[in-house]
Amino acid sequence: MTVAENLFESLRLELRRGSLTLAVLAQLRKEHYGYTLRKDLADRGLEIDESTLYPLLRRLETQGLLTSEWREEDKRNKRFYRLSPDGELILAKLLDEWQAINASINRIFEQPQS
Amino acid sequence: MELLDRYLQAVRKHLPLRRQDDIVAELRANMESQIEDKEAELNRPLTQGELEDLLRKIGSPVMVASHYQPQQYLIGPAIFPLYLYVLRTAIVWTIIIYSLVMICVVPFTSPNTTGVVDSLLHMPGVLINVAAWVTLVFVAFEFFASRYPEKCPPIAGVTEKWNPSSLPPLEKDDGSGRKPRSFAQAVAEVLFGFLFLAWLLLIPRHPFLIMGPGAIYLQVAPFQLAPIWWTAFWWIVALSVLQIAWRCVDLARGRWQYPSRTQRTTIQAFGLIPIVLLLSLSNNVYVTLRNPAVNLAQYGNALLAINSSIRFGLLIVCAIAVLSLALELSQLAWKAYRRREAAR
Repeated sequence: MTVAENLFESLRLELRRGSLTLAVLAQLRKEHYGYTLRKDLADRGLEIDESTLYPLLRRLETQGLLTSEWREEDKRNKRFYRLSPDGELILAKLLDEWQAINASINRIFEQPQS
Repeated sequence: MELLDRYLQAVRKHLPLRRQDDIVAELRANMESQIEDKEAELNRPLTQGELEDLLRKIGSPVMVASHYQPQQYLIGPAIFPLYLYVLRTAIVWTIIIYSLVMICVVPFTSPNTTGVVDSLLHMPGVLINVAAWVTLVFVAFEFFASRYPEKCPPIAGVTEKWNPSSLPPLEKDDGSGRKPRSFAQAVAEVLFGFLFLAWLLLIPRHPFLIMGPGAIYLQVAPFQLAPIWWTAFWWIVALSVLQIAWRCVDLARGRWQYPSRTQRTTIQAFGLIPIVLLLSLSNNVYVTLRNPAVNLAQYGNALLAINSSIRFGLLIVCAIAVLSLALELSQLAWKAYRRREAAR
């Protein structure tokens, strides 16, 4: 990788970092376990490594934004996650914040360059 | 699936103790689902190579387990700038104090130069020790601050609200258009001052340091330096110590950027004293004969010529020093006059 490519990759990861949490919370309005969550996010254009997603789920659960339970499905024990009531509140606020940022950036791009 | 079991066993070893079983169970469930989907897509079981590729893509056990660790710093970003500042200050002062001890104590306790050389070789070890202790203190602070933030004392400007009124006063530009001197330059001057002082103090026992191979001549020549040179020598040493001490004070008080012209002028003025001392000798005897009774007849004229030459050389040095001091004083006086006029 060239220096420019490395720089872009590092900035891209920074840009994605905050968005991933919002995407995961949004997707968990419906119950998922780790693997299906990752598949669904990938199907919607957001690829995320297992080594990033699974610890993120744990962290969000520790922060009280998710709840989880072990259940048997297809003869296998799986840990299912969904949004907690606090998680729903936070998701709504994060979504407003994200849309405000998005709108600001669009306005910056739309303004004439003098 | 023996490979998967071995992989999860390796991950477990690096996981936080309390949550190992839970995390490994979840990882196993997710990875088995992934393998099943892949096998359904291929319509056959995965080969050993394909399974290895999958595990390689997920990441090494240490890396995977590390993502489950809480984010922790040895020295966190909040106090790292303070750590760097303290480390730098500690290293600089250790060099200064160690050099001072090396110069003032070692030459007089050690019979030859090896004592000084040994001390110099020990310096890196001392500096590493100091750096290690400073780092340890800050690591301990970070450890306690992250776990017991309410019990840790606040650090002004870092962990508590700071007061803009407590900022130091504006550093005055001395108006000469001089560029401010850097901290590194100021420290280098102090260090070279110490090195110069060490060299001076070693000269009496090791004249080759000033005369090179010509020092051998001192041992075989019938001439020797007059006692007045010792007085001049100790004046020069005292001047050197004064200059080093003044520069250290400037460093400690944070005033290294614009060294005072008064300081330079004072050192120059004091520098005249040993020259005047030498010139004030009434008999102009700077060099004498080791054995006057034996050598006077043979070397008497040569002795006169040597003493006259030395006196002449000293007169020239004195004239240059006086002119230089006069120029410096006149520049200071002119500046003071302009400042007074500007103030009116």
